[in-house]
Amino acid sequence: MKYRPSLPEQNDNVSHEHPLREFFVLLAGLCVIGAIIYVILGLFIDAAVDHISPETEQRWFKKTSINAAIAQMIDEDKKAESFESELFDSLKACANIDYPINLWRVESNAINAVALPGGDIIVFSGLLDKLKSENGLAFVLGHELGHFKHRDHLKGLGRGIVLTVISSALTGSDSSLTALVSPVSMLGQANYSQSRESAADIFALEILNCHYGHVGGATEFFESILNEHKDVWELAHYFSSHPEVEKRIENMSHESNTRGFVDAKTITLTK
Amino acid sequence: MTELIIFAALISLGFFVGQYLEKRHYASIQMREKQLINLVTTTSKTPVGDVGEISHCTLVSGNAVISIDYFKRIVAGLRAIFGGTVRSYETLIDRSRREAILRLKESCPEAAQIINLRIETSSVFKGKKNDVGSVEVLAYGTAVYIK
Amino acid sequence: MIITNTEEIPGKTITTCLGVVSGSTVRAKHAGRDIMAGLKNIVGGELKGYTELLSEARDQAMDRLQAQAQQLGANAIVNVRFSTSSVAAGASEIYIYGTAVIVE
Repeated sequence: MKYRPSLPEQNDNVSHEHPLREFFVLLAGLCVIGAIIYVILGLFIDAAVDHISPETEQRWFKKTSINAAIAQMIDEDKKAESFESELFDSLKACANIDYPINLWRVESNAINAVALPGGDIIVFSGLLDKLKSENGLAFVLGHELGHFKHRDHLKGLGRGIVLTVISSALTGSDSSLTALVSPVSMLGQANYSQSRESAADIFALEILNCHYGHVGGATEFFESILNEHKDVWELAHYFSSHPEVEKRIENMSHESNTRGFVDAKTITLTK
Repeated sequence: MTELIIFAALISLGFFVGQYLEKRHYASIQMREKQLINLVTTTSKTPVGDVGEISHCTLVSGNAVISIDYFKRIVAGLRAIFGGTVRSYETLIDRSRREAILRLKESCPEAAQIINLRIETSSVFKGKKNDVGSVEVLAYGTAVYIK
Repeated sequence: MIITNTEEIPGKTITTCLGVVSGSTVRAKHAGRDIMAGLKNIVGGELKGYTELLSEARDQAMDRLQAQAQQLGANAIVNVRFSTSSVAAGASEIYIYGTAVIVE
């Protein structure tokens, strides 16, 4: 037996396809599958939420969600307090909502308000400081009531859960993959909630018109934000769940015109 | 947003630098394989042909731990969802094995033959949640020296 | 191509030794199969998906081993050894190596 030294010319143990090609094909496939599952489950969630009565919702979420939210949102030295307002009761009547909804005032610099499952609305003191007219506040409350009316808070929660489950099921234990999937899924989520926000804006307009007989002061909140953030980072609004502020103002004035809502003088907010 | 930027930076760094380093490693492997081609290596328990009078034998080994780049790890993760051949790991395995065998040969350039070659693979580094991205290959055999 | 895991091939004479050749592959099953296997783990028994995965991987690695040996002009591979390891969760890695030879 003799030895003949030899080396194979071609390496059969590796594929010679370009790695980028595989990456993009797989990524596109993943996005398509994820989107299909998300849309289907999202519709299921929407249908299911419509069958949950406000009483059931209150039974499920009362206490737990408000406590968790407050614990997460405020610092230790700041406080949260529940308050009642005649304005809010009247707005609720206009919105045709007959189950109890609690208002919370939370000390925070955030210029925002949140609707929580279980029937709670949190208004941050930063928002109250910014608003000058009662109408402006009424619009914000009407907007949150719109979320309750459309059950957006529950749908948003349900979709959030679905999204988390899908992304963790698809990416499994691979933590680096989750980093890839999460921005993509965030975009989908933001797109969905933008349409919900617009619907809530229009609902708030209707409530304003019902309560005051006009929609003056509706855009006050947005205009104050606009003045504040003139130089806001351009890219940010693609990722924001709230549609571009200018677009929302435009949208609302268009809607007021078609419905024949009129603008009128606002009432100064008494704090 | 920041997460996305960090991710994009890591993946492109992994892709460009990883490709470059892999090409360089393959070039070095091919060159060294040609240099060491005349050192007889076999998986048989007996030497190839008539070697003459054997002076001594000794156990020799060579090992290499190689890791894949971030880009390939992401592609492998995607591939695990769809199934099929995980191409990104192929070069990792191929490179580490050839490197280990080369180191085995380089450790005994004076030997006439290396017989009973065996190769073992293991994953040395398991990150969080079994996120494996590197393998250790150990090649071992018996070097036969002649007088 | 004659493939054996013995030193010699009974009834044949090895004339030339061509060196060590190898074939390797890493394969994975799709996520659905992984989930089913996870469920099957509760009751035990054969994980058909993974049995299939490993035999597919062996076949592929064997094909590559033969392709390498053919490039060297061999007509047999002796002393073939299999080695398996896990490089990634849910993926199987198979490595086959042996000595490429020419027999008469």
